[in-house]
Amino acid sequence: MIQFESAEVTYPGGVHALQGVDLTIDDGELIVVVGLSGAGKSTLIRAINGLVPLTGGQVTVGERTLPGLGRRELRELRAEVGMIFQAFNLVHRTTVLSNVLMGRLHHVPSWRSLSGLYSPEDREIAMQALELVEVVEKAYVRAGNLSGGQQQRVGIARALAQQPRVLLADEPVASLDPPTSHVVMRYLQQINRELGITTLINLHFLDLARTYADRVIGLREGRLVYDGPAADADEAVFEEIYGRSLTADDVLEAQGGL
Amino acid sequence: MSAPTGERPRRPSPVASARPQRRPRKPPPQPFTLLGLVGLAAFTLVTAWDWVLGIGFNPIALPGELADSNPAMVEGLFNITDADWRADYAELLRTHFTDPDSPWLLSLDSRIGSGLVETVQIAVLATLVGAAVSLPLAVLNSRLGAPNRTTHAVIKTLNNINRAIPDVIWAALFVVLVSVGALPGILALTMFTIGVVVKLTSDVVDGVDLGPVEAARAAGASHAAAMRTALVPQILPSFASFSLYAFELNLRGAAVLGFVGAGGIGQAMNYYWSQLDFEAVSVIIFVYLVLVVIVEQVSISVRRRLV
Repeated sequence: MIQFESAEVTYPGGVHALQGVDLTIDDGELIVVVGLSGAGKSTLIRAINGLVPLTGGQVTVGERTLPGLGRRELRELRAEVGMIFQAFNLVHRTTVLSNVLMGRLHHVPSWRSLSGLYSPEDREIAMQALELVEVVEKAYVRAGNLSGGQQQRVGIARALAQQPRVLLADEPVASLDPPTSHVVMRYLQQINRELGITTLINLHFLDLARTYADRVIGLREGRLVYDGPAADADEAVFEEIYGRSLTADDVLEAQGGL
Repeated sequence: MSAPTGERPRRPSPVASARPQRRPRKPPPQPFTLLGLVGLAAFTLVTAWDWVLGIGFNPIALPGELADSNPAMVEGLFNITDADWRADYAELLRTHFTDPDSPWLLSLDSRIGSGLVETVQIAVLATLVGAAVSLPLAVLNSRLGAPNRTTHAVIKTLNNINRAIPDVIWAALFVVLVSVGALPGILALTMFTIGVVVKLTSDVVDGVDLGPVEAARAAGASHAAAMRTALVPQILPSFASFSLYAFELNLRGAAVLGFVGAGGIGQAMNYYWSQLDFEAVSVIIFVYLVLVVIVEQVSISVRRRLV
């Protein structure tokens, strides 16, 4: 279970990215967080793994509560929370397998990570993660040589190699074309359904949110303005979240025709 | 599900907008730039002027001075264009490289031959050891790679001190510490390699993609593991290229260090120089040049493959 209690994040520049957020997420949920850019979506999910420190309130993930974790506890928390990024964040010059093995870093002794000599067990976990997203045949290809959709699948495999309980995805399809976006979303949905991993996905396309989410959370200027089942999140709800009428930019399906 | 039919934001009208716009004036050059240019011009003038601080160099009189200098020397400089001289020099090289009675026969146990081999050995070993030490130091020498500010400051200061000391001074120092031979040469050039490679490589760290580093941290990796897996692969090509560059510099450095007793071809050159045997010195320069050109070609082709 993930629980936000009056969570506040104020950046050094004075921007209030999260203001008094109360939110409870049950195990196994697939939640899509929507909101305009700057609404605090990235901050919300980065508050869960401590990449962004809270300036007020607290976030409880499982049995750990932020803030107040020591360095070691914070790393243990992060090891249980996989993360997927908008820009994929792969090391382009190394192989796909090496990138996926980064997901094992918390579990391997230093001498192995520093020498790059991972155990057969860790390699097996990485290979299985690649099989799950169906890019295992690229295991020894340089990550930079893959297409965007393949790179994001490697990003998912890297997160899965952590064998996480929670998966955070920060705009995972914002750099992809519409058909590829659906492929990536389907993998995330499948992982949530089959492995039971609690999944939080930041999106701004309302059709993707409605298609794949169980529950939609709307953020506006750092505040929670909507929390409800995806089925109830109609256009009026999105207009309320975005604070303006919808445009073609808010719908993925409209993108292909532009 | 019906897609909303809202319009995209309209482009601004091409007709002049209500609010008049003003083009800004080009900002004047920075005072620092102006001051620098004036300063450099003044320094050049002070140096070239014919007075107590001048170096007695007059660019207008230079061509005349060259023409008036020792005709034999000028001729000596240009006699490579003379076919007879070239034939004589080739004969000299042939004799010395093949004649078993020649004191500087080009063999592995002659003064010149062993000196050349030792020069290459010094350069290779110094580069290997120096580069191996430089990779972790380069990571620690960057703001991203250092685990804390103190480490960053200490490493940076130490490396600045290292680079302030010229390789010849390092060599003289190590000759005192470990006595003459190839070892002080290797140690001196190792320090030099560290100075060059750490400085250049750590500058590259500032330009890397931070995404993979964030991903490693998000996976719960320790700082060292995150640097090793997310940063090092990104700086490796630059590091390899700088190390090869350091090797080329080391090959030149290894030739000079012999003058302070740190082994290599410089020691042979120093020996013949003191014997006033300038023919031998010229032969050493000749074969050394050939060696440098060959090694540099190898280095260039290796670099092309790496980067």
